[in-house]
Amino acid sequence: MSAVAHWSSYPAAGDRLLSFIGIEIHWAILQYVLGLPFMAFIALLLYLRSKDKAWMRFARTLTKGFIIVFAVGAATGTTVEFGLVLLWPHLTEAAGRYIYFPLYAEIFAFLMEVVFLYMLWYGWNKLSPKALAAIAFLGFLGAWYSASMILSVNSYMVAPTGVMPAYKPSGVYLYSQGYPKIQVYMPKDLVPLLNVTALKTAAHVDILGVASDSVKVAIPSSVVQELVREAWSGVKLQNSVLIHFVNKTTVQHLTLEQVQAIAAKLGVPTASLAGAKTPVEMLLSIPVKNVLDYILITTVKHIGFMSITFKSPVYPATLMHTIGSALTVSGFTVLAGYALRLLRMPENADPEYRRYIEKAFKFAAIFAALVIAYQGFIAGHEMGRAVAYWNPEKFAAIEGTSEHILSLSKLLHTDKIMPLIAYGSMNAKLPSYDKIPVNYCKCSLTGSPPVQDCRPPIFLHYVYYTKIGLAVLLGLYGLIVALVVIRDKWSLIDKTLNLVRIRGGTVPSRFWLVLAPVAAFTAQLISTLGWAVREIGRKPWTIYGVMTVDVARTANPAPAWQLALIAIFLLSIAFGLIYAVYRILWVQGKPRTG
Amino acid sequence: MVGLAPAFLALTFGLHITMVNLGIGLAWIVPYLKWRADRGEKELEGVARALMRFYAATYGVAGVFGTAFTVFLLSYYPHFLGFAGDITMIPFGLAIMMIVLHFFSISAYWYGWDRWSRKTHYFIGFLLGTSALLIPLGFRAVFAFLNIPAGLGYDLVHHKFYLDVTAALTKNPTYWPLYIKSIVAAFTTTFLVVMGTYAYKYFIAESEEERAAALKTAKMFAKPAAIGLGLMLILGLWYAFSLENVPYKFNNVFASLGWSVGEGKAYYNVSWLFVLKILFYLFQVVAVAYAVPALLKGRLTKTHGKILLYAGVVAIITIAAGEYLNAFSQYPFFVAVWPDILSKQVPLSKLASYGIHIPAQALPTVVNTVNSVVLLDNTPTTHHILQAMGIAKFFPQTSPVNQIAVEGPVVALTVGFLAFLLIAAAYLVFYILLWPSKAKAEQVVEAEEQY
Repeated sequence: MSAVAHWSSYPAAGDRLLSFIGIEIHWAILQYVLGLPFMAFIALLLYLRSKDKAWMRFARTLTKGFIIVFAVGAATGTTVEFGLVLLWPHLTEAAGRYIYFPLYAEIFAFLMEVVFLYMLWYGWNKLSPKALAAIAFLGFLGAWYSASMILSVNSYMVAPTGVMPAYKPSGVYLYSQGYPKIQVYMPKDLVPLLNVTALKTAAHVDILGVASDSVKVAIPSSVVQELVREAWSGVKLQNSVLIHFVNKTTVQHLTLEQVQAIAAKLGVPTASLAGAKTPVEMLLSIPVKNVLDYILITTVKHIGFMSITFKSPVYPATLMHTIGSALTVSGFTVLAGYALRLLRMPENADPEYRRYIEKAFKFAAIFAALVIAYQGFIAGHEMGRAVAYWNPEKFAAIEGTSEHILSLSKLLHTDKIMPLIAYGSMNAKLPSYDKIPVNYCKCSLTGSPPVQDCRPPIFLHYVYYTKIGLAVLLGLYGLIVALVVIRDKWSLIDKTLNLVRIRGGTVPSRFWLVLAPVAAFTAQLISTLGWAVREIGRKPWTIYGVMTVDVARTANPAPAWQLALIAIFLLSIAFGLIYAVYRILWVQGKPRTG
Repeated sequence: MVGLAPAFLALTFGLHITMVNLGIGLAWIVPYLKWRADRGEKELEGVARALMRFYAATYGVAGVFGTAFTVFLLSYYPHFLGFAGDITMIPFGLAIMMIVLHFFSISAYWYGWDRWSRKTHYFIGFLLGTSALLIPLGFRAVFAFLNIPAGLGYDLVHHKFYLDVTAALTKNPTYWPLYIKSIVAAFTTTFLVVMGTYAYKYFIAESEEERAAALKTAKMFAKPAAIGLGLMLILGLWYAFSLENVPYKFNNVFASLGWSVGEGKAYYNVSWLFVLKILFYLFQVVAVAYAVPALLKGRLTKTHGKILLYAGVVAIITIAAGEYLNAFSQYPFFVAVWPDILSKQVPLSKLASYGIHIPAQALPTVVNTVNSVVLLDNTPTTHHILQAMGIAKFFPQTSPVNQIAVEGPVVALTVGFLAFLLIAAAYLVFYILLWPSKAKAEQVVEAEEQY
C-alpha cells in the first residue's frame, strides 16, 4: 500500500488533514510565543548586568517580533479550539468530561500571556528595565504554563494514564493476551451485575486490585474502544457487547425499584425506562454511555481529576521536547533575521548599529547551538525512550522494523545500537512491525473499528529519518556558527576551525550567513515532521487504546470541498501573516507621526 | 439562585460581550476616521490611533474572556458541547473563520499603520469591518438556535441529528431580529462611548489641537448615536414580538408586566432586569436629548460632557443587562423553547413550521437526548421550575453540570486567578494603555529607533 493510501485508509482523512493544517499553523506561530519572550527575558537580564544598550534594543526587537505573531497565534488558537469542537466533537466532549482540568487551567495561562506580553510591549516606555525583566519572566512563564497544560492533554492522547503496552523490551509480544490494556476502576455496585468469569476468560479482562468503592481492572483496548464507540452511537445495553457479560441471574433477582435506583444513579431519567416490564429489560434499556460514564468518572476520581493527564507516562519527555523545539525554532529564526541584517550591512553603517547587530547575532548563534544540542542529546532522547516503551507500534513503524521495506536504520547500522539507546540494554530487542497483528485494535465480536490495519503506517520510518537527518545537519550548522562567534575566546576552537578551512573573524563568512534562513526554515520543517510522526503514528487511535478517529469525528462531516475551502482560507491567512511580519518587522517603516 | 457553573459562564460572557460590542463599532469607526484623516482632516489621525489602541486592548480582553467562556462551557457542560458540535458546523465555522480574519486584520491594520500603502491599509480596514459584522452572523445563529432549534432534524438511517442550515437562517423567527438588533446596539453603544469620551476629553485636553479634535469627534458621532437609540426601540420591540413564539422565555420577561402569551406564567421572573434595562435606556435617551443639542450648537459645558460620558458608560452596562436578560430569561434551559414543548405550551405540530423534522419513530430518542443535555443546573430553583411545569420526570436526577469541574479547589483556583488577572488587565488597560505617557528618556530613544 502506498504511503498516501495507507494514511488515507484510516477514517476521516479530510478532517485529519484540515486539523493538521490548522494545528500546524498554530504551532508554527506558537513556537515564537514560547521562544522569543524567553530570549527577550535573557536579553533584559544581560542589559541589567552590563547596562549595554544593545541588549535593550535586542530585547525590544524580540518583543516586537512576538507581539505581532501573538495576536494571530491567539486567533489560530481559537480556530483550533473550535475546530476540535466541530470536527471532533466526541473527542472534545470526552476531554471536557474526564480530562478537562488542564484545558481549564490553560485559560488562566492564556490570560497571563495576554496580560504580561502586552504589558511588556505597551509598558516599554513606562516601566523600569527591572520591571520589564520581571514582566518578561511572567510573560514567558505564562506561555510555557499554557504549553504544559495543552501538552499534558496531547500526552494523554498518546499514552493515557493507566495504559499497559503490548510489548516488552525482552522481545515478548502480549497482543494474544488482549494487550494493550487500559486500567480502569470498576465501581463495586456494577460488579455484581457482570459475569466476572466470562470477562476474564473471554474478554481477557484482568483484575488488578480492590479499592474502597471499586475494583481495579485492566481491559483490552479492543474492548474499550468498542464500548466508547457504542457510547457515542447511542447504543443501549441490549445491543451492546456488554450483553454477553451481564449477569442476568443476579439481575433477575432484583426488583424493578432496585434497577430504577441503579439507573437513577447512572443519570437515566425515569421517563425513559417506562416501557420496561422486567428488571433485565429495564437494565438493558440503559444507554452504554451512562454506564461507561460512571466507570470513567470513578477511574478519573481515583487517579486524580486534576492530575490525570500529567501522569501520562510520556508527559515529561513531551514537555521537554516540545519546549526545546520552540526554543530551537526561535533561536534559528532570530539567527536568520540578524544574519540577513549582517548580509545587508552597508559599508558605512553606524558603528553602534553594527555592534548591536553583531552582538545579537552572536547571542542567537550560541543560543541556537545550545538548544539544539539539548534537543538532540536530552529531550529528543527521552522522547524516543518514552515512545519505545509506551507506543511500541509507533516505535516499530518509525524504526522501520519490517522485512518488507528498505530500512534506513539497517542501512546505516543504527539498528544495532538502537536497543541500547531506546531501552538501555544491548540485550533488548526492537519490536518487529511485522509481528504486530494488523487487527490488534479490533473487537472480535463486532469487527470495529472500520480500518484495514490497526498499525501506524510504515512510511513514518522515512518521515522520521528525514527529520533526524535534517536535525543532524541543523545541529552541525548551529555548532559551526556558534564556534565561529566564540573563536576569539578559545584558541583551540580557532585552530580547529582553521584546520577545517573556516577562517576569518567572529562573524561567519557570507556562505554561512546565507545558510541561516535555510536553517530557520529547516528548524520549522523538523518541528512539523516531528508532529507528523507523533500524530500519524497514533493512528487509527485518537486516544491511544481508548477512542479511534471514526468515533471522535463529527456525526455530520463536512464535504471535501468545504474542508478544502477552509484549508485554503487558513493557508491564505498564514501567508498573509508571513508577508505582514516581513513588511512590518523587516522593511524599514516610516517614523510615526501621530 | 443560580449555581456556580452558570455564574462563571455569565461572568465571562458579560465581560466578553461588552467588549465585543465596542469592537464591532470600532472596527468601522477607526478605518473611517483614518480615511478622513488621510483626506485632509489631520486632527483625526490622533483620534483614530487612540481608538485603535483602545480597540486592540478591548478586543484582546474580549478574545481572552470569549476563550474562557468556551473552555468553561466545555468543562461544565461537555455533553451539551458534544451535541452542539455535531450539528453546528456551518454557523460556528463561519464565525471562527471570521474571527481568524478579524484578528489578522487588527494586527495588520495596527502594526501596519503608515507601513502599508493607503489602498492596502483601507482594504485591511474593510476586512476589519466586514469580519466584525460576519462573526455575530454565525454566533447569533447559534443564539437564535438556543431560542428555537430551527432546522434541527433527525436522520433515521444514520441515527444522528443534523442541521438544515437554510431553515435555521430563514425559519427561525428570532434570528434576524436578534442579529440586526445586536449590530445596531453595538454601533449605538460605540457611538455613545466615543461621543461621551471625547465630549469629556474636550475639557481635560492639554492642547488646543486636542480640544479641537475632541470636539469634532464628539460632534461627529452625536447624531448617529441619537438615531441608533431611536432604532433600538423599534428593534427591541421586533425581537420581543419574535419571542412570543417562545412562551417560557417571553413570559419570564413580560408576564409580570402585563404582557403574556400562552398560559402567561413566569417560572423564572426576570422582569426586574428588563425594567432595569429600560431605565438604563431612558437615561441614555435623556442624556442625549439634554446634551447633544448643546454639543451640536457649540454650547457644550463640562456638565454636558460628564453626562454624555455617563451615557457612554451606561450604554455599556445596558449591553451587559440586555445580554443577561436574554440569557437568564430562559434559565435553567439551554434551549428556551424546550420546556414549552415538553409542557405542550408549544404543540409538536408547530415545530415543522420552524423547519424542525423529527420522524415520529425517532421522537423518544430525540427527547431523551435533548433532555440529557438541555439543563443548566440542578439547584432548588431548577427543581421548583421543573416540578411546577410538570416536566421533572423527563430529566435525570444527577447533576447536569460536570461535578469534577466545580470541586472546591477548582473553584478557589478560578476565583483567585480571575481576581489576579482582572487586576493585572485593569493595570494594563488603564495605566499602561490609557494613562498619558511618562516615558523614560533612554528607553524612548531605543523605542523610536529602527530595527
